[in-house]
Amino acid sequence: MAKQYKAAGEEAWKNNVEKVNAELFIFTYGSLVVQLMRDYEDCAAVNAQLDKMGYNIGVRLADDILARTSLERCADLHATAEAVAKVGFKMFLNVVPAVVGWSADSREFSLQLDDNPLNDFCELPPRAVQDGLWYSNVLCGVVRGALEMLHMQTEVWFVRDVLRGDDASEIRVRLVRMLDEEVPAGDD
Amino acid sequence: MVVAYNIYIFDRHCECIFYTEWNRLNSPLATDAETDRGSKDLVRGNQVLTGDGGSSRSSVDGQRPLVWPTTATSTAHRVSAESPRNVAMEEEAKLVYGVVYSTRNIINKLNSKDSPQGGNPGGFMSFATNTYRLHYYEAPTGVKFVLNTDVGATSMQPVLEMIYRNIYVEYVVKNPLFRVDPKTSTPIENDYFRAVLNNYIREISSAAVPAS
Repeated sequence: MAKQYKAAGEEAWKNNVEKVNAELFIFTYGSLVVQLMRDYEDCAAVNAQLDKMGYNIGVRLADDILARTSLERCADLHATAEAVAKVGFKMFLNVVPAVVGWSADSREFSLQLDDNPLNDFCELPPRAVQDGLWYSNVLCGVVRGALEMLHMQTEVWFVRDVLRGDDASEIRVRLVRMLDEEVPAGDD
Repeated sequence: MVVAYNIYIFDRHCECIFYTEWNRLNSPLATDAETDRGSKDLVRGNQVLTGDGGSSRSSVDGQRPLVWPTTATSTAHRVSAESPRNVAMEEEAKLVYGVVYSTRNIINKLNSKDSPQGGNPGGFMSFATNTYRLHYYEAPTGVKFVLNTDVGATSMQPVLEMIYRNIYVEYVVKNPLFRVDPKTSTPIENDYFRAVLNNYIREISSAAVPAS
């Protein structure tokens, strides 16, 4: 199963995606975060805003991934995690995080990014580190938004970040509940 | 040769966000446009540009297919209680949704593949009557496409998939101005989307569809 996602991700990356210059993307994102910091001056608010922006991106990304690949509905959370890591991240960032840290009830997992492309060329000032800024928080929003479009309500947050001195970046994903499909309103 | 009659697009909130028709007798849209405003001038079939809605049909040649809903008439965004709504069209959309929803659920149940998340694991593709054939396609995100064609059409699944992947995703999902709200539905009001969809359907209708 993992093989098929890996192959799908590679194929999608090679053929179905128009690529932009990585540095342009990284610098644009960096200046976006800088601007947000200037505007809000509060790291928690910036984190929340990045998450919101990511969410708006994520809801559209779900349809985009489905349009570009022939992925079917995943049977369980394990398959979903593999798809997110090997297809989603591969297609849009060209990195494949490792899926680790499964909880005992299989409702939580971690995506471990050894090299996060958004972190290139970036250094956080000590004040930002102290105040708890998660630089790539937009990724959390993206994962949350995309999974919500696929009927999974999740909580996604950063656990470790290279920019804060940890050895790797880790995003934790927790499935809160499966969302039911909406039923048409009855005649009233 | 396939004759496509009309298409409905429903979003994950069970609302019809787009409807257009190409060959239809007694359409609830056409009568609406004609009785609109009660003025005979407007029924030249040309510029029916009302300030607050009605069915959207604005082209000089009168050849453009009618489209529904517009934000002025959609249930979610009605500006005031007096804004015009096309009740006949709304009811029809609800009926169509009910039919495909129920049929899809029955098929899922019979396959023991029903789940509260919906989706189409049972593989409901189409049904036919004496006069038309209805084709259905559902994306895992909950967007549903319903296309009615003449009875002779075999499988329009590839067509509907194409519409989803290359037209809906390209022009609607990727449009930053199209609001994707967890609670409300936004009608699709996008000229590019309409134009590309109409062109594609026209191509399909004139090309020979290989029997599958």
